[in-house]
Amino acid sequence: MLEIKNLHVNVDGREILNGLDLTLPQGEVHAIMGPNGSGKSTLAYVLAGKREYEVTAGSVTWKGEDLLAMEPSERAVAGVFLAFQYPIEIPGVATMTFLRTAVNALRKARGEAELSTPDFLRFVREKAQALKIEPEMLKRPLNVGFSGGEKKRNEILQMALLEPSLCVLDETDSGLDIDAMRIVAEGVNALRSPERAMLVITHYQRLLNYIVPDRVHVLSDGRVARSGGPEVALELEESGYTEFDGKAA
Amino acid sequence: MDLPVQQFRTKAEQAYLDLFETAEDALPGARDPFVSGLRAKAIGAYGRLGLPHRRVEAWKYTDLRARLTEVNPLVKADGAAVSEAELGQALGAEIASLPAYRLVVVEGDLRADLSDLAGLKSAGVEAVSLARALEKPPVWLKRTLAQVNPRADDAVLALNAALMTGGIALRIGEGVILDKPVHLIQLDGVGDPASIFTRNVVVAETGSAATLVESFGSLGLRLLQRNAATELRIGAKAAVKHVKVQRDRDDAFHLSTWLVELGADARYDAFQFSTGASLTRNQVYLCFAGEGSAADISGAFLLRARQHCDTTLLVEHRVPRCTSRELFKGVLDGEARGVFQGKIIVSPGAQKTDGKQMAGALLLSETAEFDSKPELEIFADDVVCGHGSTSGQIDEELLFYLEARGIPESQARALLIQAFVGEALEKVEDEALREALGHASADWLGVRVE
Ligand SMILES: Nc1ncnc2c1ncn2[C@@H]1O[C@H](COP(=O)(O)OP(=O)(O)OP(=O)(O)O)[C@@H](O)[C@H]1O
Ligand SMILES: [Mg+2]
Repeated sequence: MLEIKNLHVNVDGREILNGLDLTLPQGEVHAIMGPNGSGKSTLAYVLAGKREYEVTAGSVTWKGEDLLAMEPSERAVAGVFLAFQYPIEIPGVATMTFLRTAVNALRKARGEAELSTPDFLRFVREKAQALKIEPEMLKRPLNVGFSGGEKKRNEILQMALLEPSLCVLDETDSGLDIDAMRIVAEGVNALRSPERAMLVITHYQRLLNYIVPDRVHVLSDGRVARSGGPEVALELEESGYTEFDGKAA
Repeated sequence: MDLPVQQFRTKAEQAYLDLFETAEDALPGARDPFVSGLRAKAIGAYGRLGLPHRRVEAWKYTDLRARLTEVNPLVKADGAAVSEAELGQALGAEIASLPAYRLVVVEGDLRADLSDLAGLKSAGVEAVSLARALEKPPVWLKRTLAQVNPRADDAVLALNAALMTGGIALRIGEGVILDKPVHLIQLDGVGDPASIFTRNVVVAETGSAATLVESFGSLGLRLLQRNAATELRIGAKAAVKHVKVQRDRDDAFHLSTWLVELGADARYDAFQFSTGASLTRNQVYLCFAGEGSAADISGAFLLRARQHCDTTLLVEHRVPRCTSRELFKGVLDGEARGVFQGKIIVSPGAQKTDGKQMAGALLLSETAEFDSKPELEIFADDVVCGHGSTSGQIDEELLFYLEARGIPESQARALLIQAFVGEALEKVEDEALREALGHASADWLGVRVE
């Protein structure tokens, strides 16, 4: 279970999250919605351990472990995975080299044997095919020259390879065409399991038709302003965020 | 040109003159008028110039006169055995074991016992010890030595000509296409401080193609003072790849000069990789003497502690339709200092010149420093020339992305540093060589290659 209690986060001396509470049991998928600038990505980054986000109060535990005390790579070992809203381009690092380094780093940290080259290649090829990622793409430097949609699919490929237990998807649907969104949603759904928890950040109800959430939370001004079932997303589609303006502050 | 007259000499400046006077009669070629004349002229030029200092524009960031306080005696080659294990130790196993025609020069002495002279000969390459060739220079050497893109105003090069004791003379015959690189291994000896002056003279005749790898390493000589020069004349339609790997001991002075001249429709690809020495000066003088040629001079340097590495290039476009490219990448840790000076001169009439240079440094500490000075002197109107320089730290965003995937911070940093250097290494076409340099980078970082 992911338990976030009274989370306060500052960036550059400004409070972005102020008293956020959220509980996400294993086996469930929760959606997070909310207006631009409400703190959704901030929450995602804090879970993954980005350094410039300063936690001033509150706690975050995953399966009882204190995430806030861990380095970013340790969190990944503990099962946390963030699919970035804006995946980073890294010239000079071949995608394949990166994937292999990451997979083996995790295996090593978890006390498992590293995958041999042929085993690894087979593993990647199979997962890439399901996401309709051309093998040619994996020879290119990481995300360099990838289209927006290709970058997002590459995030899901990494998720499939690293097999995390807590998946945080930050607007993975933005910039995807309908077909790509379906492919990505299938990829995500394939990973749904009783051990795994998912936090899906999105602006659009459409994604939630494919990835049906157990609960929907609406973030406003740095805290959860409303929680409910999938119907909340439908209501927001109708009425927008106006009712939350200023209320949660 | 009027050369400035030295008013007074430092102790070290005088010491070189004394060194020459004492050694003169025993230097190779002492009884050959061509060679002794050349040496006399060179020491005279040095006497007028003195050691370069920071007010000499090309040495702005490397004050050799201030840094060089003691001059070591000339090395005495003793012909001691060198094992494969020692070669691997000195150069790194991957570099030492490159498939190549090997030429090994120890303490300036070309070692027939360690070199594949027979293999080179049957491949169409004439390779002789420079020391021996100086005693009775063949005609081709007389037409080449100290005449490839010559310099009158370079004191380091003048010292080299005055005091050279060895190296190789290499002639790649017309149309000879070598099936594997020539690997010229240049080692010091062991024991007490010494100076080593070596010179290589290489002629790649019309239509020939070869890769020349020059590697420098240490068997353990203390406080080595190395002054190495290579003259390279590339004939029409010839193609030469020239790679340098320098890992001299971290207390060494490494002064290196390459003089390169390209004929028409020729191609030259140079790469200089440095991790060694306390002070390194890599100077390359290149001129285009025939139309339609292309040259690429690139490299990488990885430095830590108080290492200093200065790369100074002078590319002269004297004729039309030539292309030059330069890309250097430096990784600087501790209090290390990297210098890049790239000057491109386009002569009047050298139309359709295309010259570009780029230098970048990754600073791993607050106290590391990178100085970059591009210079363009363009006297023709129909040219494309450009330059750029960057210097910065590891990008925290990239680092976080890698860490978020479970790669521990130190490993993620190493990966990003390798990626940075990798952009320069991409220039090395030969796969075995590129991989060996990748290994050398990883070695420097203390990581294993994935
Ligand atoms: N590194 C940063 N430095 C300064 N301000 C930041 C930083 N990161 C976030 N913020 C600010 O925090 C607020 C919340 O940003 P965040 O990215 O979390 O919003 P979001 O809900 O993800 O918005 P969107 O829907 O546009 O993605 C914004 O006002 C943003 O400008
Ligand atoms: Mg966001």
